[in-house]
Amino acid sequence: MGALRITDLVFHWPRQAMACLDIPRLELTAGERIFLHGPSGSGKSTLLGLLGGVALPQQGSIELLGSDITRLGGRARDRFRADHIGFLFQQFNLLPWLSALDNVLLPCTFSSRRRERAGPDPRADAVRMLRHLDLDEDSWRKPAAELSVGQQQRVAAARALIGRPEILIADEPTSALDAERQQVFIDLLLQESAAVGATLVFVSHDRRLAGHFDRVVALDEINRVAHEAAAP
Amino acid sequence: MKAVLRLAALSAWSRRLTLGLTLVAIALAVSLLLAVERIRIDARQSFAQSVSGVDLVVGARTGGVQLMLYAIFHAGAASNNIGWDSYRAIATHPAVEWALPLTLGDSHRGFAVLGTSAEYFARFRHGNGEALRFREGKAFGGVFEAVLGSEVARRLGYRDGDSITLNHGLTELGPEHGDKPFLITGILAPTGTPVDRTVHVSLESISALHLDWMAGAPLPGVGIPAQFVAKFDLRPKEITAALVGLKQRSDVFRMQRFINQYRGEPLLAVLPGVALDELWQSVALVERSLLAISALVVVIGLAGLAATLLAGLNERRRELAILRALGAGPGHIFVMLTAEGVLVTTAGALLGLVVLTLGSGLAAPWLLERFGVVLNTRWPGAEELALIVAVIATGLLASLVPGWRAWRMSLADGLTPRN
Repeated sequence: MGALRITDLVFHWPRQAMACLDIPRLELTAGERIFLHGPSGSGKSTLLGLLGGVALPQQGSIELLGSDITRLGGRARDRFRADHIGFLFQQFNLLPWLSALDNVLLPCTFSSRRRERAGPDPRADAVRMLRHLDLDEDSWRKPAAELSVGQQQRVAAARALIGRPEILIADEPTSALDAERQQVFIDLLLQESAAVGATLVFVSHDRRLAGHFDRVVALDEINRVAHEAAAP
Repeated sequence: MKAVLRLAALSAWSRRLTLGLTLVAIALAVSLLLAVERIRIDARQSFAQSVSGVDLVVGARTGGVQLMLYAIFHAGAASNNIGWDSYRAIATHPAVEWALPLTLGDSHRGFAVLGTSAEYFARFRHGNGEALRFREGKAFGGVFEAVLGSEVARRLGYRDGDSITLNHGLTELGPEHGDKPFLITGILAPTGTPVDRTVHVSLESISALHLDWMAGAPLPGVGIPAQFVAKFDLRPKEITAALVGLKQRSDVFRMQRFINQYRGEPLLAVLPGVALDELWQSVALVERSLLAISALVVVIGLAGLAATLLAGLNERRRELAILRALGAGPGHIFVMLTAEGVLVTTAGALLGLVVLTLGSGLAAPWLLERFGVVLNTRWPGAEELALIVAVIATGLLASLVPGWRAWRMSLADGLTPRN
């Protein structure tokens, strides 16, 4: 079964004549891990918003795990996102006033499915993941704001992975890390998403990070808007 | 939803300094509102209790409100006096248990002088039927002896055994009865009624003061020294008003009719409760304006709350986007923001209640002593609870604004706040 299938997608921002995205086709199989790259302003974040169901395309369909989320109502899309998608952002990923552990558990408060999939005791599962991601025990109960950037990104990864969502979307998650740690973090993410069997969409403007992915996709190549804009 | 409210509370706690200041502003506004309401109710009550156990107030024919004003509150002047014969006729009526004569018209440094009988101290009741108590000394016995209300003694610094002189008329500008000083024999305990602001002397003293006076001025060439007044007939010829207690309260309308139709001269008898109500109606406007002003202060406090929440919203865009990514709908965001406002309002209102309760407990003795306002420390009554509920409801309304704004923002921002 396809994990993700985009067909004839057209999106433009309100009050803008020019389309922002025009993607005829993009398909991902379950468990596939792709590296999606494009320069800043190429519409990466917009695409992620569409995949997350917080924005709706004017045309086309986005099928995730077999359901077309563009046909769902707002509440159902929010629910779908909570149940099936784990998100990871560039930085300031965590709620600074919650402890690391509570941050990891957040998806379980919004989705009963994620809570159930996190096992009989989600807290124990969160602890297991934090330990697995090499976070020392002292930092679990600290407010997220007191953690280092590297620690924060690992907590955010644990949060994206808890309850084994089928799709993992990472938006420049390594941009706040130094070069050495970037690769370590990416390897960790690849390994963890494989462990939970998630389809991983990793978005970055930095092609040097593309090494260990199953597939590398340039947004400009699948987005017709960019072609037209690039044409003289 | 419970999880969302918990997150709202935790998020608010992380911004406790700014929200705390807003909360304190709301608490102060609420305690002001409740204090005004409480003083309003207490003032009304202490007003209604300025006289108790009196069945009828009798004076020359005039308005009921005016009669109460001068007979009970010693404010303004009587248009006419009533004859001693009329007073005797009432006092000796078979239905009447007691009748206290009152004579007004003199003053001491702005405080009214009340001529009455010594029976006054035993009969007069205020509040819930409380009798007058002497803080120092005892009732006046003879001529040129005076008993002071607590405020008179406190404000002017008089003690038992001091000596004072009275002025003719209600102001200090009136001519002085300088040749006939009074000895203070007693000082009353505070009552929260006009008694506190009154100098009490005997009717005979009033007569003695005016032996050598006529038509409001000393008779030229006639001076009767204080030591000789006892040779004269000091029985009063007329008095200003009388307080009447009946043997049976059920006789009150019959007695009122008897007095109002008294043939000797035109008289008026009023039921103090009814007249006090009438009098209170005339000050109700002031009372309501005070309440309106303090309600406005609360509204300003709540507008401040909405402004604080709105101002903080920009810094929280990232937080809201994270919650959106985790599956929170715009509805959750709306509830979170609104709940925060309601939380702060509720906490502020409760803190205001605590401040008021503690404050009034501490200030009550001082208020009674200084201003004669009786402030009862008590649990909030139905009116106060209704006010608190109204404040919280208004807080909810005010919080809808940032809630709505956050809802709009989270829809527009999606997962990537543009900041």
